Amino acid sequence: MSNEPNQPFASDQASPSSCRSIDGQGLKDLVEAGMSWLKVNQQIVNELNVFPVPDGDTGTNMLLTMQAAYNEIAPSHEKNAGKMAHAIAQGALMGARGNSGVILSQIWRGFARALDNLDEMDADLFVRAIAEAKNTAYKGVVRPVEGTILTVVKDSAAAAEKARSETDDLILLLEKVVEGADISVKHTPELLPVLKQAGVVDSGGKGFFFILEGMLRYLKGLPLESSTIVQPLSMMQLDKAVEEIEPGQEVEVVIDFRPHTDLNLENFYNDLSEMGTSIQVGEGDGMYRMHIHVTNERRFDPINYVMGLGTWSKIAMENLVAQMEEQTAGAKAAPKLELTQVEEGQVGIVAISPGAGLSRVFASLGAAAIVEGGQTMNPSTEEILSACDSLPTDKIIILPNNKNIILAAQNAVSVSPKKLAVIPSRSIPQGVSALFRYAPDADFDDLVSEMNSALTDVLSGEVTIATRTVEINGVNVREGEVIALLDGKLVASRSQLDDACIELLEKAGAEDKELITMFYGNNIHKDEVNRIAGLIRDRYPSHEIEIKEGGQPHYQFIIAIE
Amino acid sequence: MSDSNNPLGNIFVSYRAIATVAYQSALSSYGVVGLAAKNLAEGLVQVLVKDPTLGVEVHFADKAIQIDLYIIIEYGTRIKMVASSVSESVKYQVEKTFGLPVTEVNVHVRGLRISNPD
Repeated sequence: MSNEPNQPFASDQASPSSCRSIDGQGLKDLVEAGMSWLKVNQQIVNELNVFPVPDGDTGTNMLLTMQAAYNEIAPSHEKNAGKMAHAIAQGALMGARGNSGVILSQIWRGFARALDNLDEMDADLFVRAIAEAKNTAYKGVVRPVEGTILTVVKDSAAAAEKARSETDDLILLLEKVVEGADISVKHTPELLPVLKQAGVVDSGGKGFFFILEGMLRYLKGLPLESSTIVQPLSMMQLDKAVEEIEPGQEVEVVIDFRPHTDLNLENFYNDLSEMGTSIQVGEGDGMYRMHIHVTNERRFDPINYVMGLGTWSKIAMENLVAQMEEQTAGAKAAPKLELTQVEEGQVGIVAISPGAGLSRVFASLGAAAIVEGGQTMNPSTEEILSACDSLPTDKIIILPNNKNIILAAQNAVSVSPKKLAVIPSRSIPQGVSALFRYAPDADFDDLVSEMNSALTDVLSGEVTIATRTVEINGVNVREGEVIALLDGKLVASRSQLDDACIELLEKAGAEDKELITMFYGNNIHKDEVNRIAGLIRDRYPSHEIEIKEGGQPHYQFIIAIE
Repeated sequence: MSDSNNPLGNIFVSYRAIATVAYQSALSSYGVVGLAAKNLAEGLVQVLVKDPTLGVEVHFADKAIQIDLYIIIEYGTRIKMVASSVSESVKYQVEKTFGLPVTEVNVHVRGLRISNPD
C-alpha cells in the first residue's frame, strides 16, 4: 500500500478528509485497496461456504479475480479514469475465477461502461457507474437468485443513489454505500433459505462488501495491511497455545470485549506485544477475543489496557506454570502402554483404538502398534501406514475397529510394500474378539481367515447420548436421550442409562449368551459404572460380566456380547 | 430409470423430470442467459410449444445420469468459468434432488448474447 495513505489524491481536494473526484491513478489505488482488504479478510469469506459444490472458495476466487484486474493495471500510468476502468474490467474478465469471480468481473464491466472514457469520476458519475454495474451484473443471468452478491450490489447502488442528494463528497458517498452493503449482506439469509439453514451470510456479498470497505478505508487513511491476523472466533485454537509457554510468561489472560470504536489492529498488536507473548486476536460479530501470555507482575496490564478500548464481557486468567505441572503429572500418572513386541517373521497387529483404556486392552491382547482414532476422528491412511512401517516384521494385520476406518486401512494395504491384511472389524467388540484368535507365529493366511471368522462370533453394543431428535428404524429418539445401538443399528432410546443398557442386552438376546464385556467411556463416573454392572449381574446371574476401562470418547459403554 | 432399493416397490423417474431440474438449475446459474435447441428440427418445434426442458438431454447408463446442456452465455463473461460452474451446479442440484449420481455434464456453448456492446 502507499506510504502516505492520508494523501491519496492530488486532484480537487478541499481537505484531506474529502474527495470530489478521482482520476485513473486514483482508481488504480482504489482497486489495490479493495484487493488488499479482501486479502486480509479472505479466510472470513471462505468460511461462509454453504454448498459443497457450486461455490468453491469464494474469498480466494474473488481475490484471484481482483488480483488479475490489478495486475492488468499495475504498470499503467493512465490518467483517464474511463480507460483505467476498462483495463480493470478486462483484467477481471480474463482472470475471473469461480461463479463469484464471474459476477465480479461483470460488475467491473458495467462500472467501466458508465465511465466511458471520461477523465475523472465525480459523485454523479460514481452513482451512475455503480447503477450500471448492477444492471450489467443482473443481465448476466436469466433467473437472478436474490440473497447473493447480486442483491448486495443492487442495495449498494440504491444506497449510492439515495446518498447522492446529501453530498457530493466521494468519501461520504462511499461511506453510505459501504453501510448499505453491510446491511444488505446481513439481510441475505432472509432472502436465501439455504443461508439461513447454514447460519451464514452470503459469501460473495460479503466479499464484495470487503472490497468496498477496503476502498473506503484507503480513502480515510485507515490501515489495510498488517502483520496482524484476525481470525474468526470459531477458528481460534487456544488450547494449543499452552504448549508454547515461554520462560517468564506465567499467566495466560483471555479477554472478550467489544471496542467502543473501530479497533486499529496494528496498534492493538503493537501495544499487546509490549506486554507479553503468544498474542492471538479473534473477531466475530463486532466482539473481539484476545489471548496473551504475560509475567505474573504484569497480569493486570492487558485488562487495564482493554478496559480503555471498550467494554469487556469476560476475563479469564490462568496460571500456566501450575497448569503445565498438572498436565505433566497427569501424563505420568497414566499407566504406560505396554505393546506386544514382535520379531521379524512373526505376524504383527496394528489396532485402531478410540481411547486410552481400549488401547491397553488391545496391547494386552497382542497388538504391536496402536493408532489413535475412532468415530469422529478417523485416522488417515498415512497414520496407519507409518504404524505398519514402524514394526520390524513385514506381515501385518490391521484391525480398523470402526466401519468408517475400514476403507483407510484397505488403502494402506494397497500402497504398502509389506504384506498387509485388513480384518474388517466394524466395532471394538469385533476387534477384541478377532484379537483373541491371534497367535504371532501362526501362518499369515490361516490367521487372517481365523480372525475373520471371529467377527461374527460377537455382537457389538454401543450406548451414547442422542445429539438430535430423529426417528430411525421405528425408534423415536429425542435429543439428550440415551440411545443404544446393536451392530450399528438403533435398537433403543431411553431417558436413563441403565434402562438403555438393559434393553440393549435384551434385544441382543443376551439370555442365550455367556460373556458380556463392558468397556466404559471417559464420560461416565466409575460409581455409575459399578451400579449399572450390579444391575446387569442381578439380571443375568449365570453370565460372566466383565467391566473394563475403555476411555473412549462419546460412548458411555461399548458392550461385547458373546 | 428406476431405483429398486425400495422395500415397497420401485420408484420411476422420467428423463423429463430430471431434465426439468437441470433446466431450472442451468437458468439460475450465473452467466447463462438461455438454453438452445440442439438442432433445427427441435428449434422449430420450440416455436410451437414452450418446453421446460429445451436444450437439455438426459441419458442413463450404469445407474448414473449423464446430461448434455446446450446453452447461450452472456457476452463478456469468462466462458470457461461459466461453463464449469453451470455444470457443477447442475450436477449438484440433480444429485441432491434425485439421489442418483451424475457422472457427466457436457456443456455445449451454442451462442453468446450481446446485451451491452462495449
